[in-house]
Amino acid sequence: MTATLTPSVAHPVVRTGAASPATLVGIELRKSLSTRSGRTLAVAAAVLAPVITAVLALTSDDDLGSASGPVGAMGLVTVLVLLSLGVLSTAGEWTHRTVQTTFLLVPQRGRVLAAKAVATALLGAAVAAASTAATVGVLAVAPVGDLSWDGVPRAVGVVVAAGATFAVIGAGIGAAVANSPAALTGTYLALLGVMPVLRLSQPGLAEKADPVDAVLSLATGHGGATQVLVLTGWVVVSTVAGAVVTRRRAVA
Amino acid sequence: MIEVSGLTKQYGSRTVVDDVSFALDPGTVTGFLGPNGAGKSTTMRMMTGLVPATAGTALVDGRPYRELPNPGAVVGTLLDASAVHPGRTGRTHLRLLASAIGVPASRVEEVLGLVGLEDAARRRIGGYSLGMRQRLGIAGALLADPPVLVFDEPANGLDPEGIRWMRDLLRGHAARGGTVLLSSHLLGEVEHTVDRLLVIGAGRVVADAPVADLLGADGTAVHAADPAALARALEAAGFHVQHGADGALVVPGADPGAVGAVAAAGGHVLTDLRPVQRGIEDLFFQLTAAA
Repeated sequence: MTATLTPSVAHPVVRTGAASPATLVGIELRKSLSTRSGRTLAVAAAVLAPVITAVLALTSDDDLGSASGPVGAMGLVTVLVLLSLGVLSTAGEWTHRTVQTTFLLVPQRGRVLAAKAVATALLGAAVAAASTAATVGVLAVAPVGDLSWDGVPRAVGVVVAAGATFAVIGAGIGAAVANSPAALTGTYLALLGVMPVLRLSQPGLAEKADPVDAVLSLATGHGGATQVLVLTGWVVVSTVAGAVVTRRRAVA
Repeated sequence: MIEVSGLTKQYGSRTVVDDVSFALDPGTVTGFLGPNGAGKSTTMRMMTGLVPATAGTALVDGRPYRELPNPGAVVGTLLDASAVHPGRTGRTHLRLLASAIGVPASRVEEVLGLVGLEDAARRRIGGYSLGMRQRLGIAGALLADPPVLVFDEPANGLDPEGIRWMRDLLRGHAARGGTVLLSSHLLGEVEHTVDRLLVIGAGRVVADAPVADLLGADGTAVHAADPAALARALEAAGFHVQHGADGALVVPGADPGAVGAVAAAGGHVLTDLRPVQRGIEDLFFQLTAAA
């Protein structure tokens, strides 16, 4: 290292006030996509559903009937991957200790968490929209017989909204747990391990607790206020838990 | 610029920082010393709002850190050089910080040049050495050219040239009116860099004074052509004389002028006459052992 000190004589132009909410959201979006893991997850969330759809369409002889079913079911693949994108946006900061720099520059932790929620929601919706559009495109050109397109706009809308919702749920859980491996393991264990068992043993309770089932019901036109409330509950509980822990937790 | 008053941190019944108070003035580099676990890092983290204080206040420009509209423009902080995402490049990391602070992206290139990381800017931080991470952390702290710098062990991982570079950086910052708080366990480095010492032991401030006062003269060492004769003359003049290494006579509590006057009056030939100064290492152990 041969650098020698050259004092920065010209004082740089510096913003006098706090960063605007839009600036913070932009920073959080850039953070999520500035690492290989973040980009890989976003791309995986976007391409996994259409690729699986294409494979199934080419290998299955089953009559699909309505396209809204596959669109909703494949949308679940997308939103479950987006869940991890949300988790990593918050828990990843604690795991890599970058939360220290984040809170040194923006000490109002609630503002940071709000920006992360908005950023992950935007990213989730955008990726879900791209993925679902691709899935619809695959179904349109794949040799799957006569498909009914009734309810597809609703299914697409539900998947896009679910993409945003699951990303925000992930961000809340990540903030509450503050540890990426623990948050990811716990969340997927709950959604893919506990909830299916609950569906079999206590269907009534599962209907009021399972966000995956809620998305599928809404996408296929069988859901209603209960499913919307289930998803809202997950968003509220995870976000509040994340906010409380984030506010109190010392950055050691 | 920074006023810390009664800062206290307790974890359950354990008090890790106990009623710490001090003030940091512009134009000075203050060394923050203490053994491992003495409470230095916790104090710095309470000052910057990362760790909630059990009691006390820390004010920057008259207000708590959390209430500064744009803290990064006022306080440049390096608390943990490893607190970076290993998957980002150095340049991307700094650009994210620049956006949060509100400085133009061109400033990133300036600070990369300042810390000598231009060639490594496109590499992922995961491949950086500890010294390079320290430089990256310093670059981030300097983005807004803030008036206050708070550095926790910034010399870790730096080579001797890097340590000298950092010393010049901090001295230059203070010379331009900046305020610097520097925590380090490299006592020799601190001695050459700081104006003032703040020593903490077992969570309490045990010394807070200018370096010159703390390391001031503590007697005189003298070599003479006839040491025995000079020793008799000094004792006759009321001085207590000790025999040091290499035949030196050590006169505790006396300044060189007084010893020289006795020698001159008696016609003693002197070959060496100098004040005895305490080393920072001796001072450190003396202060922290008592805490």
